[in-house]
Amino acid sequence: MTRDELNAYRLVKEANEIQAAAYTRRHFLKESAMGLGALAMGALFGSCNFGGTKGNNPVLYDAAHPLLPKSPPFLGKAKSVIYLHMAGAPSQLELFDFKPELMKMNGQDCPPSLLAGKKFAFITGVPKMLGPQANFAQHGQSRAWVSDNMPHFSTMTDDVSFLKAVSTDQFNHAPAQLLMHTGSARLGRPSIGSWVTYGLGTENQNLPGFVVLTSGGSFPDAGKSIWGSGFLPSVYQGVQCRSEGDPVLFIKDPHGMSRDLRKASIDAINASNLEEYATYNDPEIQSRVAQYEMAYRMQISAPEVMNINNEPQYIHDMYGTQPGKACFANNVLLARKLVEKGVRFVQLFDWGWDAHGDGPANSLNIGLKNKCRSTDKPITALLLDLKQRGMLEDTLVVWGGEFGRTPMMENRNGIQNPYNGRDHHTEAFTMWMAGGGIKKGYTHGETDEIGYSAVSGKVDAFDIQATILNQLGFDHEQFTFPFQGRPFRLTDVAGKVIRDIVA
Amino acid sequence: MKFLSNKKLWVLCVLFVLVISAVLLMPYEKTVDFNTEVKPIINKKCISCHGGVKKQGGFSFLFEKEALAATKSGKPAIIPGNPEDSEMIKRLLTKDPELRMPYKHTALSEEEIDIFTRWVKQGAKWGDHWAYLPVKEVEIPDVDEDWGRNNIDKFILAKLETEKLKPSAEADRPTLLRRLSLDLIGTVPSESLIKQYFKNKDADKAYEILVDSLLASPRFGEKWASMWLDVARYADTKGYESDGNRNIWQYRDWVIRAFNKDKPYNEFITEQIAGDFFVNPTDDQYIATAFNRNTMTNDEGGTNNEEFRVSAVMDRVNTTWEGLLSTTFACVQCHSHPYDPFKDDEYYKFMAYFNNSRDEDLASEYPLLRQYNDSLQNKLTSLTTWLKQNVSEGKSKEIHKFLKTGQPSINSTTTDKLVNAVIGNNNIALFFRNNAVARIEKVDLSQVDQLIYRYNSGKTGGKMQLRLDQSAGPVIAEWNVPATKGYQNLPVDFKTQTGVHDVYLSYYNPTATNKDEVVVTFDWFHFGQQFPGKNKPNYAENKQTFWALLNANVKTIPVMVENPSNRLRKTYVFERGAWTSHGKEVQPGVPKTLAYAMPANAPKNRMGLAMWLTDVKNPLLSRTMANRLWEQLFGTGIVETLEDMGTQGMNPTHKELLDHLSWELMHDYKWSVKKMIKEMVMSATYRQDSRMTDQVKEKDPFNKFYARGPRMRLSAEQLRDQHLAISGMLSNKMYGAGVKPWQPEGIWSSPYNGDQWNNSTGEDQYRRAIYTYWKRTSPYPSMIAFDGAMRVACAPRRIRTNTPLQALVTLNDGVYIDLAKHFALKMQKEGGKEILKQIAAGYQQMLYKPIPAQKLKIFDDLYRKALADYKVNPAKVKELMGDTVNKSPETAALVIVANAMLNLDEVVTKN
Repeated sequence: MTRDELNAYRLVKEANEIQAAAYTRRHFLKESAMGLGALAMGALFGSCNFGGTKGNNPVLYDAAHPLLPKSPPFLGKAKSVIYLHMAGAPSQLELFDFKPELMKMNGQDCPPSLLAGKKFAFITGVPKMLGPQANFAQHGQSRAWVSDNMPHFSTMTDDVSFLKAVSTDQFNHAPAQLLMHTGSARLGRPSIGSWVTYGLGTENQNLPGFVVLTSGGSFPDAGKSIWGSGFLPSVYQGVQCRSEGDPVLFIKDPHGMSRDLRKASIDAINASNLEEYATYNDPEIQSRVAQYEMAYRMQISAPEVMNINNEPQYIHDMYGTQPGKACFANNVLLARKLVEKGVRFVQLFDWGWDAHGDGPANSLNIGLKNKCRSTDKPITALLLDLKQRGMLEDTLVVWGGEFGRTPMMENRNGIQNPYNGRDHHTEAFTMWMAGGGIKKGYTHGETDEIGYSAVSGKVDAFDIQATILNQLGFDHEQFTFPFQGRPFRLTDVAGKVIRDIVA
Repeated sequence: MKFLSNKKLWVLCVLFVLVISAVLLMPYEKTVDFNTEVKPIINKKCISCHGGVKKQGGFSFLFEKEALAATKSGKPAIIPGNPEDSEMIKRLLTKDPELRMPYKHTALSEEEIDIFTRWVKQGAKWGDHWAYLPVKEVEIPDVDEDWGRNNIDKFILAKLETEKLKPSAEADRPTLLRRLSLDLIGTVPSESLIKQYFKNKDADKAYEILVDSLLASPRFGEKWASMWLDVARYADTKGYESDGNRNIWQYRDWVIRAFNKDKPYNEFITEQIAGDFFVNPTDDQYIATAFNRNTMTNDEGGTNNEEFRVSAVMDRVNTTWEGLLSTTFACVQCHSHPYDPFKDDEYYKFMAYFNNSRDEDLASEYPLLRQYNDSLQNKLTSLTTWLKQNVSEGKSKEIHKFLKTGQPSINSTTTDKLVNAVIGNNNIALFFRNNAVARIEKVDLSQVDQLIYRYNSGKTGGKMQLRLDQSAGPVIAEWNVPATKGYQNLPVDFKTQTGVHDVYLSYYNPTATNKDEVVVTFDWFHFGQQFPGKNKPNYAENKQTFWALLNANVKTIPVMVENPSNRLRKTYVFERGAWTSHGKEVQPGVPKTLAYAMPANAPKNRMGLAMWLTDVKNPLLSRTMANRLWEQLFGTGIVETLEDMGTQGMNPTHKELLDHLSWELMHDYKWSVKKMIKEMVMSATYRQDSRMTDQVKEKDPFNKFYARGPRMRLSAEQLRDQHLAISGMLSNKMYGAGVKPWQPEGIWSSPYNGDQWNNSTGEDQYRRAIYTYWKRTSPYPSMIAFDGAMRVACAPRRIRTNTPLQALVTLNDGVYIDLAKHFALKMQKEGGKEILKQIAAGYQQMLYKPIPAQKLKIFDDLYRKALADYKVNPAKVKELMGDTVNKSPETAALVIVANAMLNLDEVVTKN
């Protein structure tokens, strides 16, 4: 570290410490029955092993208080994000992108022009065209097309901005999901939730800042790295909360240990550690004391927040929850509760949207309809619920998959699949955003008459990331972290804020 | 008047002083050092516009040649010896904001401008970054004070003196025992070692004996291998979507053995980079090359094998640079290095070294080393002996290699021009339907007369043909294809042809009626010669042995094997890093800046690369390793950024010391890692007490000058291993496939992968962390919580964090509760009846010293509270103790205490 950097580092540190001290006092006086709180977080130094002070990044990492709330560089419209990822890639042609022309081509051989020079995941040879497998109608004042797969959501079109021409360059699930969430198709980069938590900290010190909820019976294809912190400190990785078992890993006291005993035990640990601090004078010990206190507070708060049973019946009816089970509806309700409590980024993954047509669960006429049935009502409820609580204003909701699906029917290894299905498609698919300063009742982008390619308003993962960061108050080009000798950013060297959908 | 004269006097005085100082200073104008004075300013203020990525105005500061060359204006910006006419200097001084540099940024300080001006005046001499210059023997600094035990201390003390700091006293004996054990073996030493250490009243002698004993312990390799497995991105799964199992744990065992044997680091590297290039490589040498098979394999349907093969090759390049050479090289994929002297095409030249291994991102992970069991090995030995006696040496070697590695062979996934055939999911294998044809491209048929192919077919009655050059070309072989049970290898003989041909393989079966049914699946094709020695004695018997060995189902591990000389891949520059857009072709080579370390006799292959890496002239390999070893012991590297010693990495805190250690590692210790480690831990620097005075806390909060001993949280591995040992549960079983200690339900689930986490049984529940099964997309939760690396790519450094999730692990994870129970029982056994003695015994057990009175009181209070609770709550006792036999409230209360004690700062910290 040069002297200048060290000085800058110290200044920021000092500011953080003052903030920390103020925060701790306020916080502990108000709600802590622990007594040790005020002692624990004084003016602390961070740990020494962090080389991250280079470059001109205003966001600095403070090892002792990595999650303290920080202000974004400019005033963002959104304070938190709920990102609903339909893992497996839902078919835009059965949901939002209505293509009557495609209907006319149903059953015909795919024109060679659509195949020349293209790579598909499974299609080989000449597949047949497949018309929309759902009925469409226009809805709301915005006259947006929504299929009868989403009867509830179709009432919300005037609250959302559709992105009809999203594209990607990855046609396999894992890399495409990684690209969407980490800005790189390869493993190893921080996910968007990690970036956001790194930049903004969390408003609720009793809960993780970045929470992940999964449903559909499997993790998303890219696994946990899709909410990993990559090269950012691991404290920013998504914390997977579960609606079955411990809501957060190891959050429950051991069997046979009462809450009182747990508290007494943490008090003993911390009292002993403060003795140790008196001898060694190492700030890391103080930091450890603070972390044990926070662990205890998480033990109290997290199960409470994660428990949806206390919600009134009308809320359960609205979301269509199934208490006690791991399901998407429960996760959506949880997402609302978490955001309400100050969690910054809630990431939902619902697995099972991969409608290839190789089996009934993977077909457009059975599997896809089931997936829609299990998500349509809860998603609609989420928007309505956020709205009625006045939270939609500063909560950004994002819906989408990792790519789209082909207008052609899939013929795996050259043979027609047994059910109606579509292969992975990178050139155009639909996503939507709502709340958090996004335009209402708007559609951006358009595809050609069979939904194969973007005609206008083409955007990609980087643009979406840039837009999300923008809504939170970050210029995605300035928001960097030094790694491997250069400043890295979520959007790498690309990305443009989709100004058209910003209200 | 008086006023005036006073002023005049002042002016005169000032002038006088100025003249004198000018006279004094002029002849001694200080020579500017490019590396320490000029380069830092360039990197900070200039290079982002005038460097590897951008060359504004046609001017770049990256290479000397570029900096002195003509710019866009036609004139050079720097005229050595003439700052007045150098545009570069003028641009620093001008007041015109459109011209003044740095453009649209704050002007340079006077001091910085002065450095540049003097530098140009003195001839604008270039200098290379220190880390790219050879390691030289360093003079040991002269220090006044009488402190220290070896040369390391002199370097440390010299710096402390300039910083006006004083070293700390030596830590107490129990602290040193614990520090050494955690550092050298990563866990608790044996009872007898502890006894022996304290019994010896000569503390210095006892210390050295302890060091030597720990270095000799088999636990040593288990500790130090962890560090290397992060570099080697070792995992037990393939990565990517389905993240299936990979049997590569023998590599992990190889690393443990290498550290235990103290395999010299140059050999350690050579075998991993180029073990397959040795003459008749041993199994161990092959297994070492699995270092580079720890790259990920993508089995996801629809992926392009070539894309992910290239990705793996690039990963090998990046790992070599980052892990072995502390250099970030990945950015050179797309453009010349923005800060360091590496050019774009040099990345691809380097990649050419790795671009000819046989692996092709196959689900089968070919090439695999075939490891025969004892009876098969005997057969192989007798076959080899027979071959040596009866056929040429070349032929004999060829057969041996084929039986050991299945190479050379052509993977069925690389066939093309398919008719009624398909590469399943684009990447699995070649599937034939009836009337199928596939092309095997460019086969050299001039020396061969037999095809061995591996296939699977459920149909009888099929016929196959081999045709030359086109699907209707001349038939060179035709035969009936038997049905198989699973995969089988079969030979087909044909007449030797002249030259290289496309070979068309076709299939027809009159009994197959469903045209969509897949009737044959192919794995690979091997074009070779019929089993030799037809007229020799025992021919038939040995031929049979050959086939028995080839068809045997054996233990395998992915390894590196090179392409045969007639099927070499070409390597191209990828334009802007995109693997599909080929630029010019390149040959293997190392970057010019470092080419001086390439031995003259080095071949242009991976063995040559290994020779360059391990040559004593290579400036980076020894520095990187010395720095890494230092970091393991002291918590921070001498260069903190282990991944980058280049100009953008952190500056070394003790550059001379690093060079001294690197020199010793190569020359004095002949690359012995154990000797290097011993020197470090024998130093007084290492043995210091870690208490922080307020002065030190203010002056050196991060312990960069080492005025105190190291103190940091245990690594994920140390934590588990220590706690296992303290509670008496640690299994000493070594090696073998990864084990699955308890973890909560629902952590493991990957799409399209039915693998289960089935808890290991018996002592396998209590193995050291290094043996825990490592699934890339879902690593063991407590390992990740404590900053374990994901092992997806080379992780040269772990960044330590301190989070509440870590507290939750050691407080509540079932594994740690289980250990607390065992620890409580042990405390009872060793402490006797009284609770105070039990607690004291436990503390002693953890830290080798008596518990301070205040702490004893704290835990006694906790015990009493818990006991009161459990006495009125027998059901809770039962719940807590589970199937443990001892279910008294006293024991339950002690478990609560044990759990708390295992969470103490001094227990989770290396002090």
